[in-house]
Amino acid sequence: MMLFQSMFSPPTAPFRHSLSGYLAPCLAVCLAFAAATSSAGSRIVGTGGVSAIEGAAGGGLSPWAVLTSTASEQEIGVTAAATRAWVDDYRLTVTGASLNVYDRIEVSVARQTLDLDTLGGELGQDIYGAKVRLLGDVLYHPWGIWSVGMQHKQLIDGTIPTALGADKTSGTDVYLSASKLLFSAVAGRNVLLNATLRNTNANQGGLLGFGGEQRSRSWMAEGSVGVFITPQWVVGAEYRQKPDNLIVAKEDDWQSLYNAYFFNKHLSLTGAWLNLGDIAGLPSQRGGYLSLQAAF
Amino acid sequence: MSFPHKYNRTHRGLIAVIFATIAITLAGCTHQSATQSTTLYERLGGQGTIDTVVENLLYRIADDLEVVVFFANTNIDLFAESLASQLCDVSDGPCRYEGPPMGRAHQHMGLTDAHFNRLVEHLDAAMQAQGIALGARNELLGRLAPMYADVMRLQ
Repeated sequence: MMLFQSMFSPPTAPFRHSLSGYLAPCLAVCLAFAAATSSAGSRIVGTGGVSAIEGAAGGGLSPWAVLTSTASEQEIGVTAAATRAWVDDYRLTVTGASLNVYDRIEVSVARQTLDLDTLGGELGQDIYGAKVRLLGDVLYHPWGIWSVGMQHKQLIDGTIPTALGADKTSGTDVYLSASKLLFSAVAGRNVLLNATLRNTNANQGGLLGFGGEQRSRSWMAEGSVGVFITPQWVVGAEYRQKPDNLIVAKEDDWQSLYNAYFFNKHLSLTGAWLNLGDIAGLPSQRGGYLSLQAAF
Repeated sequence: MSFPHKYNRTHRGLIAVIFATIAITLAGCTHQSATQSTTLYERLGGQGTIDTVVENLLYRIADDLEVVVFFANTNIDLFAESLASQLCDVSDGPCRYEGPPMGRAHQHMGLTDAHFNRLVEHLDAAMQAQGIALGARNELLGRLAPMYADVMRLQ
């Protein structure tokens, strides 16, 4: 419980906006439920990934093809997640929730708040996402699981991004993603592979607006490799290619080394080391990442 | 802003090293398992352990109301023998599975992914209860996973 308290009552209140204000208590209730009930989806633990920073089921930085929670055919799953990332000059807070219907459709909502610790002020956006499983299964299908998804992003205040040269204050990403578990691939351990191809005009995921002087939309590749050290503990690396649309704020690819522990089907904790490169003119942003997800 | 180029190279270098390490490890392990003389059957603990795993699995099925209904008209002794010989066969043991193909064995039972997943969980728990190492468990599950398509084909 100490952990929960420290995540929900940080020294500076992160929940300044209405959506987050609702999500936080909702999350607390979800966690309480998760601890109390024993019902969970029937999919194997870990096969729903964790909550990525844009709300969809995935790793930390990138959405995966798997759908959130462990809901299977004829089952419904709900997850809620709270995430914090600290890099040299910024701090990102994400609260999000997602729903899995019959392991076919996933919808998600996330609120991102980026505190500009060095520059002053903050940036924020809401992300509404949907993902559809096209075919397959991450464990049982020879081709793994394939999904398409979209993420509609809306900046809360577009003043700073527009001043930096962004064309728009909202945008929509679409992506195609494939995930596959290789059984007993490394020293008897299962290995999870994921590849995502994303069409986007978002600068720094959308927090710096959409489009710019150099380019508008482009295709970006994202990928990750994870080794299940135990069935409940996965360690891996993730990479996300990024566009570079703004002349005044160079943008780099993102990468992380992650570590996710599934206590059970209801609760997972992800820790990661991030290397995000330049963000809004400040170089070499590295730091830590913690994310807690509850599912039921 | 003139930091980017040197830094980007570090980025790409680091990620290349990570992926290369994983690729080499993967290749190394494949090579190792190819040259390994012990079969999966031996690593599972041979016929004695497989028989005990099947028995343990049947107790778990008996306790699972969602799954046990599918065994209402099953001759359990025959089923246990048939499953044990299948696991022995699949793990390169000295047996030949002579039961029905997976499609016909499960046809029109109305199985869903949920049932399939539960059986996977029960089997893994049964193997764990017999102290089978994670590597052998993963390998057996990996060899059984492709049967999903056949099991579900005639539902």
